[in-house]
Amino acid sequence: MKKNQLVVQFKLNGRMVSSEVSPTMTMLDLLREKFFLTATKEGCGKGECGACTILLNGLPVNSCLQLAAALSPEDEVTSLEGLVFDPLLKKIQNSFVQEGAVQCGFCTPGMLVSSYAVLKSKKNPSDQDIKEGLAGNICRCTGYMKIMSAVKKAATEE
Amino acid sequence: MNHEIQYFRPNTLKEAASFFSDNPFAYPIAGGTDILVKWKNGGLPQLSHFVDVRKIVPSMIVKENGKVIIGAGCAMNVLALDPFIAGNFPALSSAAWSVGSFQIRNMATIGGNVANASPAGDTIPALLALDANVILGNSAGTRKIPILEFFSGPGKTVLKRGDLIEGFEVKNCQTKGAFLKLGTRASNAISKVSLALSIFESKLGSSEFRIALGAVASTVIRCKKAETILGESSAPFSNEVLNEAMVAVQEISKPIDDIRSAKVYRKKMAGVLLKRALIALRLVSSSVD
Repeated sequence: MKKNQLVVQFKLNGRMVSSEVSPTMTMLDLLREKFFLTATKEGCGKGECGACTILLNGLPVNSCLQLAAALSPEDEVTSLEGLVFDPLLKKIQNSFVQEGAVQCGFCTPGMLVSSYAVLKSKKNPSDQDIKEGLAGNICRCTGYMKIMSAVKKAATEE
Repeated sequence: MNHEIQYFRPNTLKEAASFFSDNPFAYPIAGGTDILVKWKNGGLPQLSHFVDVRKIVPSMIVKENGKVIIGAGCAMNVLALDPFIAGNFPALSSAAWSVGSFQIRNMATIGGNVANASPAGDTIPALLALDANVILGNSAGTRKIPILEFFSGPGKTVLKRGDLIEGFEVKNCQTKGAFLKLGTRASNAISKVSLALSIFESKLGSSEFRIALGAVASTVIRCKKAETILGESSAPFSNEVLNEAMVAVQEISKPIDDIRSAKVYRKKMAGVLLKRALIALRLVSSSVD
């Protein structure tokens, strides 16, 4: 083991994993560089854009501001890849496609994770709930209207 | 960064305190939403260790002996969505809800917001307006200081090496209140000016006002003059009383011009935020505009 490295153990997308990490490695870099889970994107790296959104113990967080070293075996990390077989995510993905809520696609993984978190906590979210849930995700292409209607559509469809 | 930064997770407050005393450039980290950004921007050139205090500082909201104690590790979303806090300390609840974004609020802690000591820190005016005490712990024990005496300048506090913020203590009572801020956007924008208002009502029917302002001075400030003006009048306030209180708030505001906003705008808007807070609480007629 290289000097100054730490070993962390945590639950990643449903299974227990362990990895060597440097003390300042972020969760974002750990996912992309050690686990090759590249759905999670780095946009600003400062917690403003939300492209790096993951679920930590079920709650959306900015993985660019989460030190990997802080994880422990009780922690459950879910990246977008961990949701691919979830019917709720499938529904959200379909409505994003149908509503044209994807243009360049860079923000989309983060948008999907945040939308998933909104719909997981509220079955019938109000417009305000959706806006508050997605306020930490910046999209430079769509102008948000199509994303809003995609999330609403996913909420109302059976 | 030419030197390697280390990560350390102490198991007890005592261990943390002695570590901080031995390592002058070790910094505490909890949610990380301020300190990691500062570090990534090159703002902590001498940083030697991130000391993870998340597991040793309390994060619960507890009621005991007529006080409510909010653990420093309490995440903004937990605080904002707590029904007891929302019902009794609405200014604090809405200040916590106004921070950053949903993701940031799941990470950021109230202790970190206060320790960062930004004049624009959103929960700080709310805590000032609730007469909160800061509970500090170090290897010698714990002590309390009024939050009004906690800040000594932008980013500066009376914290000494080895001190950690354990929580905040407020009187367990029902208050009315509001928190308002102006930023470039509703989310993820540092406040240009903010205002927290809390009203403590006594059994005899009199009301005590607390008004605190963010981003208009080198620290968050209270406006005792406006508090007295409102406290000595009866609601709904007349235009004269409202104007007097607004002028008091504007006079005590000594903001600066910076990348976020201008001095004149901040000063004027400090008064406007007071008016909006009073309108929201139906203490003046909304036709005063």
